[in-house]
Order: sequence, then structure tokens, then C-alpha cells
Amino acid sequence: MTIAAAIVAWAGAAVITLADGRRGLAVGIAVVAIGFGALAIANGGWLGGVALIAGGTVSAIQLARTGSKDWGLMPPGSTPRMILAVVAAILSLWVAASVTTGPGAPLRFASVAVLGLMAARLLQAQAASPVLTAAAALAIALAGASGIGDTGPGLAPYVLGALVAAGASFLPIREPGGA
Amino acid sequence: MPLSISPMSATLLLAAALSLAFVVVFAPQRARRPSLLVWGLGGLVGMAAIAVAPNLDLVILLTLAIALLHAALAGRRALAARLRAPALAVALLGVGLLFARFDGPPMLERFAAVGLVAGLAAALGVLPYIHEFDHEELTTASPVAWIAFLGPILGVVVITRGRELIPGAAAAFGAMLIGLGLLNILWGSIASWLTEKGTSAWHYSFMADWGLVLCAFGIQVADGQAAAVLTLSGILLSRLPLYLWSRQPLRESVQTDRPINLLAAAMLAGAAPFAGFAARILLLRGATQIYWPLALVIAIGLLLWLPPSLRLGRTLGVPRGRQAVGAGVTLALSVAIGLYPQPILSLAGL
Repeated sequence: MTIAAAIVAWAGAAVITLADGRRGLAVGIAVVAIGFGALAIANGGWLGGVALIAGGTVSAIQLARTGSKDWGLMPPGSTPRMILAVVAAILSLWVAASVTTGPGAPLRFASVAVLGLMAARLLQAQAASPVLTAAAALAIALAGASGIGDTGPGLAPYVLGALVAAGASFLPIREPGGA
Repeated sequence: MPLSISPMSATLLLAAALSLAFVVVFAPQRARRPSLLVWGLGGLVGMAAIAVAPNLDLVILLTLAIALLHAALAGRRALAARLRAPALAVALLGVGLLFARFDGPPMLERFAAVGLVAGLAAALGVLPYIHEFDHEELTTASPVAWIAFLGPILGVVVITRGRELIPGAAAAFGAMLIGLGLLNILWGSIASWLTEKGTSAWHYSFMADWGLVLCAFGIQVADGQAAAVLTLSGILLSRLPLYLWSRQPLRESVQTDRPINLLAAAMLAGAAPFAGFAARILLLRGATQIYWPLALVIAIGLLLWLPPSLRLGRTLGVPRGRQAVGAGVTLALSVAIGLYPQPILSLAGL
């Protein structure tokens, strides 16, 4: 269950990395939220998991219902992004399963993979929607990653992460020149 | 989870509140005071939340929330450009935090230190992650809000909590801060001196001041921490208000060489008896305790403050009306802190 959830989270981040259209980004953020939500639920954090899924869902719905209705999945020239998504998965797997020790390897894999891919997406994207979606995915990943270790983070990071993820999609996009 | 605020954060929060009061009360004639007040108070609330957050997870998420709200402000740069660096900072800080929590070889703590220092640099907008800067942009929407207003609290919280998270890599963490600090001292002061645009010169001067702060935090002795607090107070109480008051003369290309300009230049350069002088003495004393050649390098770096400070002092023009009062109050406060810094240091628990 946790391994599947971690792969789902990575797949969502890969979709955000590969998509330029709002529908593609909406699917990506929803899948990331489902992955981290399932990981939190599997670790006993029911409320936190539900909060993350709710935050991701709100973000996805808002993305899908506003702006242009395009998918923009793997536009021409996206081969480097695809390679990045695969390499990020391999490196994260190495860190989670080989370099680090202890229980919770799926959560470690998902956290490192999603944070790494979203950092790359932030650096690469020029438009507002992908950057805001990457920021929302970052919020979900950071909230989900608070379950790593014996920190006992409580519900606060999950709720805050969900609020930030949902709120990011409602921000007015004010571009110079009125774009 | 218990909410508490460290004395150092409380001191800087107070300095930020005072700075906001200066900026609003003595605002330049064409400045929009309600906008300054609303966004300043918003920033202050965010900083207070960061200061009282019980763990670094919440600090990082709050930083992301602030970055999103700041990027939503109407600015001259595209939203992607405004959000990129702070959001990247959040990702790097997050990676640093993850590596600090992972079980495994000791090398992981060093990777955590790299993530935390790189994330902090990206959040502040210092080398190697200088934020894209548009010299015509409103200060509230510009990267100056990060480097001069939000940065001090965020810097203190990330450095103090980061150090507690990775006790095994404390030396590497300190060394990275010192290295990055020296780089920023050099780059910031030279760029501030030689850059063409006046507002960019101010932006680089903030970077140079942050170089001092990073060096001071890297020197893990009491004198270093005291120097960091005094320098950060100087950024909030002296450099930021003077930057705002210089915006109008800069637009009108006014440059003057009156006594007030020389006094402002002396304050910015950290000359005696201003607060920057006390901070520099404490920093050199702390560096000497650790490794005396470091003090020598920092001392040479401090000389680089003089030419850009003379340039920045001139950009203030001849302050009139409430701005003249504001400049007088800022200078007087800096002299008071420089002559007797103990109240601020005691408030910061040093």
C-alpha cells in the first residue's frame, strides 16, 4: 500500500513536470495529493491524510475550471523533462532505500522525488500556472514529509500544507502588461 | 505543541515593527502610506508566525505561504520570476530538513547543512541566488522585502533551529555560513560601488550587510551572535528606511554632498559611533577567538564598505519635512545603539 502510494506521488510530480496545460497540471496536483494523503493515512494520520487530499482536490478543481481548457502534456521539446522525471525517481529510490536506513522508505522516496522534481519545475517554468502548481505540490510534499522521523508533528503541518496548496490556486495572476 | 519565541527573534521582531513605524510615519511624499502599512503589517504577522512556529516544518510552510502572497502583489516582474527564488528556497530548506531527519551515515547531516544554507541564501536573495531585481518596482513587491524586512527573522529562525537539528555537522554548517558570508561581503560591496543604477547599488549593499551577518552567525561564539543581532538591527532600523527615502531622489537623479549625506554614509559604512561600528568590533573580536586570519580577511572586507557607502549617502538628496525628521531619528538611534548596545543585546538574550 505505502509503496504504491509513494509511486503515485512521484507519478503526480512527473505529470506536473511534463504538463504545461491547466488540465494536465490539475491531474498532477490531484495525484500528488492522493499519494501523500494515502501515505499519511497508512502511517496512522487519518485527519492529516484527508486534509492533504482535500487541499489537492480544491487546487485541482480550481485549476481545471479556470483559464484555458488544455492538457499540454509532453509538448514538443519535453524529452529533457521526461528524462529528469525518470532520473529523479532513480536517485530518490537510491537515497530512500540504500543511503538511508530505518522504516518509512516509501515516504522518504516520495518526499525526495517530489521536492526535487518541483524544485526543477520552479526553475524551468516561465508561466504562472506551472509555478503555482509546483508551489502547491511543494506544500503537500513538505506537509507529508513532516511524518518522517520521530518528530510527532501533529495535525498542524498537514492542515497548513493543505491550506497553502488550495490557496495557491486562488491567487490572482497579475502579470506585467495585463497578461 | 508549545508556542514560544526566542529572545533573538523577539528583538528582531521589535526592530522590524519599529522599522515599519519609521517607514510609514516618515514616508516619502509620493509613497502610498496605506499600502505600505497594510503590506508591512502583513509581513510582520508572517514574521511573528515564523518566530513562534514550534518546528521547522511549519516555518518552511509559512515561508511558502508568505512567498505566494508576496508574489501575488502587483509588480513589474512576471509572477514566475517573483515566486521562483522564494519557492526554490522552500524546496531547498525542505530537502535540508529531510536529510537532517533521515537515519543513516553522518554524511547525511552535512547534506542537510548544504540544503539549509542554500535554502536560506535563496530565500534572502544573496549569492548564489540573487533575486531578479527591477529598479522601478515598488519596494513592497520587490526582492528588498525579502532581504531587508522578512529576511532577518527567517534567517535567525533557520540558523538557530538548523544548528539544533544537525549537531554533528555544526562545524560544517558554520564554515558554509562564513564562506557564503565572505563571498557576499566581497560581491555586495564591490557591486554596490560599481553598478550603474542607484537602486541596484542599494540592493547590493543589503547583500554585503547580509555577508557580515552570515559570517557572524558562522562564528559560533557569543560575540559573533551579538554582531549578527546588531547588524540585523542596523538593516531594519537604518538601511531599510534610508533606502526608501532615497527612492525619490534616485528617480529625480538628485545627488548631494551635504553634511547629512556624509553622516548617512558614515552610518552605512559602519563608522564610529554608529551601531555598525559596534557590530564590526564584536565580529572581529569573535573571529579572532576562532581563527585570527579570518579576522584579517573580514577586516580587509570591511574596508570595501567605504566607497559604496559614500555613493549611497549621496543618493539620499537633501531630506526635507518629515523625511528630514526621519533621517535625524534614524541617525540618532544608530548612534545610541552604537554607544550603548547592551539594551538590545540583553533583550536578545546575549
